[in-house]
Amino acid sequence: MKSRFALPLLLALLVLAFLASLAFGELRLSFGQVIGALTGGSDELARTVVRDFRLPRALVGLAVGAALGSSGVVMQAFFRNPLASPGLLGVSSGGALGAVAVLAAGPFLGLAAHTLWALPLASVLGAFAATGAVLMLAQRGAGTERLLLSGVALNALLGAGTSFLLTTTIGHFEVNAQILFWLMGGLESRSWEHVWMGVPAILVGCLLLLPLGRPMDLLSLGEQSAQSLGVDVRRLRWKLIALSTILTALATAVAGVVGFVGLIVPHVLRLAFGPDHRRLLPYSMIGGAAFLLACDLVTRTFPLGLRLGVVTALIGGPFFLWLLRRPR
Amino acid sequence: MSSALSASALAVSGRLEAVSLDLTPGELVALVGPNGAGKSTLIQALAGLLPAEGHVHWNGQLLSRIAMAERGRRLAWVGQEAHFEFAFPVHEVVAQGRYAWGDDLDGVEAALAELDLLDLADRPVTRLSGGERHRVGLARALATQAPIQLWDEPVAQLDVRHALEVMRLARRLVDGGSTVLVSLHDLRAAYRFDRVLVLDRGRLVGNGKPHEVLTAELIGEVFRVKATFVESLVPELPEP
Repeated sequence: MKSRFALPLLLALLVLAFLASLAFGELRLSFGQVIGALTGGSDELARTVVRDFRLPRALVGLAVGAALGSSGVVMQAFFRNPLASPGLLGVSSGGALGAVAVLAAGPFLGLAAHTLWALPLASVLGAFAATGAVLMLAQRGAGTERLLLSGVALNALLGAGTSFLLTTTIGHFEVNAQILFWLMGGLESRSWEHVWMGVPAILVGCLLLLPLGRPMDLLSLGEQSAQSLGVDVRRLRWKLIALSTILTALATAVAGVVGFVGLIVPHVLRLAFGPDHRRLLPYSMIGGAAFLLACDLVTRTFPLGLRLGVVTALIGGPFFLWLLRRPR
Repeated sequence: MSSALSASALAVSGRLEAVSLDLTPGELVALVGPNGAGKSTLIQALAGLLPAEGHVHWNGQLLSRIAMAERGRRLAWVGQEAHFEFAFPVHEVVAQGRYAWGDDLDGVEAALAELDLLDLADRPVTRLSGGERHRVGLARALATQAPIQLWDEPVAQLDVRHALEVMRLARRLVDGGSTVLVSLHDLRAAYRFDRVLVLDRGRLVGNGKPHEVLTAELIGEVFRVKATFVESLVPELPEP
């Protein structure tokens, strides 16, 4: 596909998904009512629904999608493996375990009222621990098998930790339910607090990533060759792993574990528009945001109590299997 | 004569022992030795791609004092393996050679032509054969226009015509004042170089003109084969 259509196309999809996020729900609004509610027109009810409930939810969804999409691109370039992604490598699970630990400890430590900032912090710590473990288990340039098996082992280990916390809090129904929320990911009842907690930092992270596209091109074709061509590989690697881990952790902190976004989105966009990271990075941010909002719309449209993480997994699981079967 | 690339007591634990050498501008140098002798390690250490003990100087300047981007302009390295995991078109991979120059496209077209890649320029690099991928790596190194070129077994996977063309290219670069160091296994080809370095178990055991260094005695000692000098069929490129 011609890449000059990419940006308008992706932006149009994002605007559409964003407006649809504001319009659809229990109270069905027209796009006109949505625009009215945003600009101060429309009736009181529409304004409340859009401004207090749907707008923060959509903004969080947008930021989470952009964070996960770009983290996927970064991890794939970093590990020089198109199958790397925050979810498969266990970075998301690390972030989730951190968040769950805070949630589980909350009622015992009297943290409940102060968890707003403790949560993302613990999530970042957990994600960094997981990233460190992956770096030790699978050296850069490791084959797909080693990388994915390391991810499997790490996901199992971190999952066991999370399960342990889940069972220790079984008597505390509310805490238990909260933990389940993180594990299955979702944007329900995301408020302006969540927007402030995640969106500005994610925006900064994304902006810091954008200028790294060109050296990422070189890195993705080999660490030593990149260095020989004039890339400061050590510094670049450090920046990439820190930014992608923080972005994944922040996304997990505000929306729980949402898998496969970092795998599907960069893959589809790479197939469509090529591997140039100067384009792939912004495309994956926009595409990731649109994809996440669309998946969130699915959870709202089907009254089955589908969770966001379940929807992305339902799409991502089969997609991943298809990728593995595809000759490379 | 001034020095283009020099090493003193260059060592990498377990792989390279106190190698010292000095290459001058306009010199075509072959690096030979059995498998595992440390040829790739030496080349990577000279290129500053491996942590190593000892000192490396490029044009008389200590390597650790040269900024990363400047290194990309001064020395080009081509690795033995040419794996590309992402489907960049050939011309974009070659254009990466211009990274240290601010991504201008100066000389990219010429490098593609030089390595006979013009017909493959738009092909994803993942769909090429092993030999073709090696030519892409060489073209990228050529595009850097760096005056020091280190090529690790560049012709091992090439057919006879492309291998001869690469050797002719190396000679032309050297005639233009560059320094080219090439590791290879074909000892007969090494006789056409200005100088031969022989590496054995991490030690430099030979360093000089091919006929002086590559004696039947040394070849027997290092490679543990019996070498005889005979007249044989030698492929040449036709005159253009």
